[in-house]
Amino acid sequence: MAATVGIVLVSHSASLAEGTAELAGQVGGGAVTIATAGGTDDGRLGTSIDKVSSAIRRADTGGGVVILPDLGSSVLTVRTLLADEPDDLPGPLEVADAPFVEGAVAAAVTAAAGGSLKAVLDAAQEARHARKL
Amino acid sequence: MPENCEETITLTGDLHARPAGALSVAAAGFSAAVRLTVGDASVDAKSVLSVMQLGASSGQRVTVRAEGPDAKEAVDALIGILASATAVGD
Repeated sequence: MAATVGIVLVSHSASLAEGTAELAGQVGGGAVTIATAGGTDDGRLGTSIDKVSSAIRRADTGGGVVILPDLGSSVLTVRTLLADEPDDLPGPLEVADAPFVEGAVAAAVTAAAGGSLKAVLDAAQEARHARKL
Repeated sequence: MPENCEETITLTGDLHARPAGALSVAAAGFSAAVRLTVGDASVDAKSVLSVMQLGASSGQRVTVRAEGPDAKEAVDALIGILASATAVGD
């Protein structure tokens, strides 16, 4: 079986990223690599290019990585990183346009099932249409 | 010609997030198309958010329906997860 797709959660809040990773990891049955990049380098709310870069390397197991930003400058930070140094990072990389929690859970389940990079990205992005009620 | 298989189980506990994840991970491992039906609602078992949206709870009847070469195996696996996961809850 091919290497599974890794997932990176980028949030303004370290605890939000960690909690979402915990939830998505458990729903996915623990068989998926999820790395987090939450908060700034000095522990405040915000985002850090270095943290995202490090998380991508930790999440990569050879099958590519899907990155989920929470909102606002998380998206900008990820885009800046990918624009600046794509050669230094493992790949292929995809950025999911998806709700954070639902996207992470859907991506984790699809990755745990051995889905391809495109399947994991699609699962996350289809979460845009998921209803709760 | 695709094989069809169907089985119904009455839940002994609510279908929470983790069992929903286990169902979808298992369903994705089969080539058969697999659907879960509760009352009037029917969803793709491979979509964990759809499975959660079913909100299946204790006492409800869930039908697992599969179509494809491994339909029987898929139904057996998912009924097994529904039987064990909802019994403990969580």
